[in-house]
Amino acid sequence: MSPNLTLYAALGLYAAGTLMALASLFGRRLQTPALVLMLAGFVSHTVWIGTICVRTHHPPLTNLPEIAAFLSWTVFVVELVLLFKYRVHAASFFVYPLVLMLLTVAAVVHEPFALAGAKAQSKLFTTHILLSTLGVAALLIGVAFNALAWMQDRSLKSKQRGRTWEWIPSLNVCKTLSYRALAVGFSIYTLGILTGILWSYRTTSELLDLRVKQVGAIVAWVLFATLLQSYVSGAYRARRAMVISACALVAVLVAILGIRHA
Amino acid sequence: MALIAIGLNHRTAPVDVRERLSVAESKLPELIASLTAMSGVDGGTIVSTCNRVETYVSASSEDIIEAVVDWLAERAGADRAEIEKHLYILRHGDVVKHLFRVAAGLDSMIVGEPQIHGQVRAAFLESQRCGALDALLMHVFEQTMRVAKKIRTDTGIGEHAVSVPYAAVELAKKIFGDLDGLQALLLGAGEIGELTAEHLAGSGVRQIFVANRAYERGVQLAERFGGAAIQFSAIEPYLATCDIVIASTAAPHFVIERGQVARALESRKMKNLFLIDLSVPRNIDPAIAKVDGAYLYNIDDLQLVAESNRELRMKKAQQAEEIVAREVESFRRRIAAMDAVPTIVELQQRLEEIRATELERCLRRVGPITAEQREAIEMMTTQMVNKILHYPILQLKEADEPQEQRESLRKTIRKIFGLR
Repeated sequence: MSPNLTLYAALGLYAAGTLMALASLFGRRLQTPALVLMLAGFVSHTVWIGTICVRTHHPPLTNLPEIAAFLSWTVFVVELVLLFKYRVHAASFFVYPLVLMLLTVAAVVHEPFALAGAKAQSKLFTTHILLSTLGVAALLIGVAFNALAWMQDRSLKSKQRGRTWEWIPSLNVCKTLSYRALAVGFSIYTLGILTGILWSYRTTSELLDLRVKQVGAIVAWVLFATLLQSYVSGAYRARRAMVISACALVAVLVAILGIRHA
Repeated sequence: MALIAIGLNHRTAPVDVRERLSVAESKLPELIASLTAMSGVDGGTIVSTCNRVETYVSASSEDIIEAVVDWLAERAGADRAEIEKHLYILRHGDVVKHLFRVAAGLDSMIVGEPQIHGQVRAAFLESQRCGALDALLMHVFEQTMRVAKKIRTDTGIGEHAVSVPYAAVELAKKIFGDLDGLQALLLGAGEIGELTAEHLAGSGVRQIFVANRAYERGVQLAERFGGAAIQFSAIEPYLATCDIVIASTAAPHFVIERGQVARALESRKMKNLFLIDLSVPRNIDPAIAKVDGAYLYNIDDLQLVAESNRELRMKKAQQAEEIVAREVESFRRRIAAMDAVPTIVELQQRLEEIRATELERCLRRVGPITAEQREAIEMMTTQMVNKILHYPILQLKEADEPQEQRESLRKTIRKIFGLR
């Protein structure tokens, strides 16, 4: 059996789950089947991640497809935790497509299984990638809830109810969850960047090697810091936060895609 | 077995008739006992709300209807003819359909209102506690609760507010989520403002400050909500601490300006401010709607919300009616199959008896055989009996035939196989 089978099964199930989640805007009965499909995809996805670990004897963190697959898996785990804790389905409209998109990147780029190079075999490198991935996953969830807060704000301001009115939780819940995910994600992401700098210094004697992924990561860090500061200082405004979030999201994606050119 | 519902509601009887039959919660056990004590009644319950009084009875025959009508007339202290003209009498499947609709709020004055579900549930639980529910009514009750819940979950019929005060509460929940612990400021003593404040207090708002030009009236109102009265001229600091502001004064000008709200929001940090302007002319500067973090709704906006919710409910009510129709049919099939159960059980017992007796007789004649041989013969005879019974049982379980035909088939089968 091809080891890639579980990857394609996960992709197929995620695609079906995402379509069903979007269709649930028109009929809430589709919410549960969508979640079931996503969970089935998640099981397959987990098997795929396990396959990488078994075949390469290292966590799936050494190249773009591995990191995209692992990030996608982590984003879904964070979403599941929030779903079961707060019973908020609405973020799925953003998170499911994101999970699907990241796994699609892994499938399309499709590099053969590779053993980690000498530089990447250190514990510091593994810690750096693990923390960065986990941090980015939480930040992406924060961005998703921020988008929901912005949509709810628009809806309340315009006094028009779109299809999303029923599905999006209260403005307060969206803002609180966004803030919590961003605060946790930002702390972990910062540690990820610091361990990355340390690892870079140990292996190349340089603190920063300003290539696409590093620039993307630092720009994202600055933007997330600005966003978080607006929450803490009370300067938060839905539209401005949405613009910053969108820019930060692009920076994160640039950093992820930049892994290929590392 | 007859399932009967006799009652009246807001459509068939005026309030002066309904109130005569209405049952206080404390009197319910006594009246249920009186209803089920009637000769021929196997089980019963009474659903009494401000809009309906209904008796549900399971009895050996429909003859019980007369007695229940007399019982209701006696309770109302009225002539039978006087009360009878307001009553509706439903039988069998119609009872189930009616009860499903009632519990889902489809028969309510405000379609989809959620309280009725709890009231029906409470009535049946009380009857169950009094031992007044027979197997049929118990089954009906369980299905009713399941169907009502399914309708609420699948259609979301009760989720949207259809009155201005409830629309304001719904919007507040969309902004703040849980209203517990929030503070509100009520400006003026207009009737609809008062009602809105009352609904907010009922939804968990912790404290309501009342500012009225006539301070004494403000104090009275504040006492009603367990809040505090403040001077009308000193409202600005409260804009910074209160989360919801309701304006309902007779002032011909704005009493809250954009600058005041902008300053209040600065000190509120991340917290939003919900402003409800129920006054005509308006009391809150409409320019406030453009301030980030402030959500301003006037009376027209709220009426529009309530109106669009009413339309939404009507659409959802149609979906709910379809669910009711499907569930009634499914219930009818189950009940029809249940009707046949005693005959099927007796039939199986009768044939098993014959099989066992004849087998023993045969084995005595044949003489000693091995355990394996006996097992093979047992299996063969059992399979023969099962195959003989297969089609009669299928026919007995057939729910599509009319009640009379099913009854006639049961009688015929009982006669053919010599069942009691």
